[in-house]
Amino acid sequence: MDVDLRPVKKLRESAAARSALGPIIEAVCASPADLARLRVVCDWIQYKQNFREPVVGRPVGGTDLEIAVDLRRCADLDMEASVKHALADPAGLALEPWVPGRDSCIWRFNALYWQALSEWERATGREYEQSLPGGESDARNTEAARELILELFRLWDELDARRALPDELYILELGVGNGNQARTWLDEFVQLDRRHGRDYYRRLRYLMGDYSPHVLERARQAVAHHGERVSALVVEATRPSITLGFLAGKAFLVYISNVYDNLPTDEVACIHGRTYQVQTRAFLADEDADLIAGQFGLDRDRLVPLIDRLLRIGPELLSESAPGQFRDPGRAVDFWRAAWDALRLRERYVPLEGLDRYQVTAELTGEILRPLIEADGDIRMHVSNGALASFTGTLPLLHPFGRVQCHDLFLTGSHQYRTGFYGPGKYDGSVVNWVNGPLLQLVASRRGFGVQFTPFRQRPGSNITTLTAQPRD
Amino acid sequence: MTLLPTTVVGSYSVPEWLERLKTEYYQRRISAQHLAEIHEVAIKAAIKDQELAGIDIVSDGELRRDNDVDYFLARIPGVHIPQRAKTDYFDYYDAEVTRPLPELADSPETSLALAADFSFTRRLTQRPVKFSFTGPFSLSRRIRDGAYDQPGDLVRALARRLNAEARTLADAGADFLQIDEPFLAGYPEQVELAVEAVNMVIDGVAATWALHVCYGNRYARPSWEGHYDFLFPAVKAARVDQIVLEFARKGLDDLRLIRQHGWDRWLGLGVIDVKTPEVEPAELIASRIRRALEFVPAERLMINPDCGLRHLSPEVARQKLRAMVAGVALVRPELQAGLESTTQSREGGKT
Repeated sequence: MDVDLRPVKKLRESAAARSALGPIIEAVCASPADLARLRVVCDWIQYKQNFREPVVGRPVGGTDLEIAVDLRRCADLDMEASVKHALADPAGLALEPWVPGRDSCIWRFNALYWQALSEWERATGREYEQSLPGGESDARNTEAARELILELFRLWDELDARRALPDELYILELGVGNGNQARTWLDEFVQLDRRHGRDYYRRLRYLMGDYSPHVLERARQAVAHHGERVSALVVEATRPSITLGFLAGKAFLVYISNVYDNLPTDEVACIHGRTYQVQTRAFLADEDADLIAGQFGLDRDRLVPLIDRLLRIGPELLSESAPGQFRDPGRAVDFWRAAWDALRLRERYVPLEGLDRYQVTAELTGEILRPLIEADGDIRMHVSNGALASFTGTLPLLHPFGRVQCHDLFLTGSHQYRTGFYGPGKYDGSVVNWVNGPLLQLVASRRGFGVQFTPFRQRPGSNITTLTAQPRD
Repeated sequence: MTLLPTTVVGSYSVPEWLERLKTEYYQRRISAQHLAEIHEVAIKAAIKDQELAGIDIVSDGELRRDNDVDYFLARIPGVHIPQRAKTDYFDYYDAEVTRPLPELADSPETSLALAADFSFTRRLTQRPVKFSFTGPFSLSRRIRDGAYDQPGDLVRALARRLNAEARTLADAGADFLQIDEPFLAGYPEQVELAVEAVNMVIDGVAATWALHVCYGNRYARPSWEGHYDFLFPAVKAARVDQIVLEFARKGLDDLRLIRQHGWDRWLGLGVIDVKTPEVEPAELIASRIRRALEFVPAERLMINPDCGLRHLSPEVARQKLRAMVAGVALVRPELQAGLESTTQSREGGKT
């Protein structure tokens, strides 16, 4: 039997975490499980809203079993009963078949959150920024903007001297939030350009891209005083070239903030030298399903089709199509929130038959994972499929002297997966996962870009890390 | 030679499996002998692909090379490379010179062994073979120079070494040699130095010489942007028979420079964009050639891709070469018809 204790820092800090270990071992020994084929994995799930019960069982390739425990929630737990419950693997109300993580309906919930954000905000009475850690975005730092702009001026002066400066100078921001970043950046640009005296502002084209039309409209209003210098585009982050293909080789700066952690991802694991895909299945626990059905006057059997319909048409149309259950859109949002709060994921490990047969993105096969898997032995990590697709779709947009600057929740070394939990969790109505930084670094390297990770200067001490990608050689 | 001969710039598609095996070698997991045998098989396939596509002048696809620089630097006496293992085969070495490179007289036995590469290719095909190597200016850009007071002296020292290699290549039967200067577009102010070095490489070597200058193709991305203005008039002093330039990706505007500066030698016209997997239709290629014919006579026009095909998948590379040949095939009869009508009118005039 393997016991994998990941939150080593918390073990030192938390007596409750340490004292949970004995009962865990007692409980698995008291169970009928074949201990020779059992792994115990202990995490510390920092997200108060998440997709896990404190103790869950995960089949490994049909023969072995993993018991996963959240040490943060073990203090008052009847461990023996919890292990027994996990081994029994109660079905609950399944919302989908077994699927790779990126295909789970949790991403449909996530997409709905951004599409129907205004309705969600109306129902909760607070803007999404208030759900961010710290309660606001980090977009108002003029010093950081100034540094970037002055670097661009230096580059543009040099290119201009060689007659190699294009007429239009493109800057792209993906994930525009409320537009504060764009406004801060552009206002600073105007000031600095006046002092610099080269009239680059006249040639500037600032493109704002976001998945949410609602967010985009809010951002557009924030920068309205910059007129035609700014364009707003609805961009599917995982396929930027569909909207932004015209920008290939032209962008001097692509600025991305807190987009990647919110994009679909699979997880893969290497256990005893064999590679597995983590498959998931979203479900509602029986008691939660009964509670929601009662709360909204529904037969339990109607929950799954109604949730599916909600995810297809959104709360407004749902209330129109089922006024008996949802008298107004607000009531439909209540239903949405209740389902989201109760949503859990069951997991299992399915062997991957050849990395090259696993498609990470449309362009990349699982072969790209090989160096990380082979270097780190037993590991479970995010594939960050959505982030990779977005990142690899963004790099070709760069001018030969352009750069990507991206603020997000990045792991900066694969070893971190051994000592911490990095998602998925829930932020308000959206999904959050840390992004596999070493994988992005590897992919960028294969495309001739150097990637650096630096602490996020706008808010020291936060979990945000800044990734900068620039052409190398 | 046929009208509008087709050729390649040099490199050929490196399939993913070959990249992996090359990396295995640089991580010391397979032997040099095994890799050499793998390369031989890959080169045979590359030549066959070119022949089947109908390319008139073929190359070995540069498939033995890890990249456009290190293959040479690793063989040049006096270039110090402290770490020869690589994370990825395509990465550049960290190379330096700490004292002036030994002159050939001091190390007559050393060779870069390019003639052996050429001879291997020569035996495999009946078609003319183009053999290319990276020029001294670009090689110098990847060397940390701790030896020379004047940076140009390192370039010249490399040129002397490459000249010796070119002589050996010519002795082995190479009659169409190409110098690639992929870094030159990034340093337009140094074009005179680069041309001086090109002439040193060529000196005394009886072969047809081409000079290829592009905007970079590392990882299928341009390394620089701009126009070929910087090349002229300096490049006219290069004693080459042909310049090979990229036009498909950048557009044909720079063709004006050929006329403007009276370039009276061959032009290798880039008609295939090697940075996109999109395969150009033959008609588009033909239209590019027709446009070029407004600036260069057909007798001095050679047709090639913009740059090497190394970053394209094998299937795309094959399709692009086939499209290029098909595009040329659309134009050749038009030229032939033009020639015949000129001849007829001349004959008619006589009578």
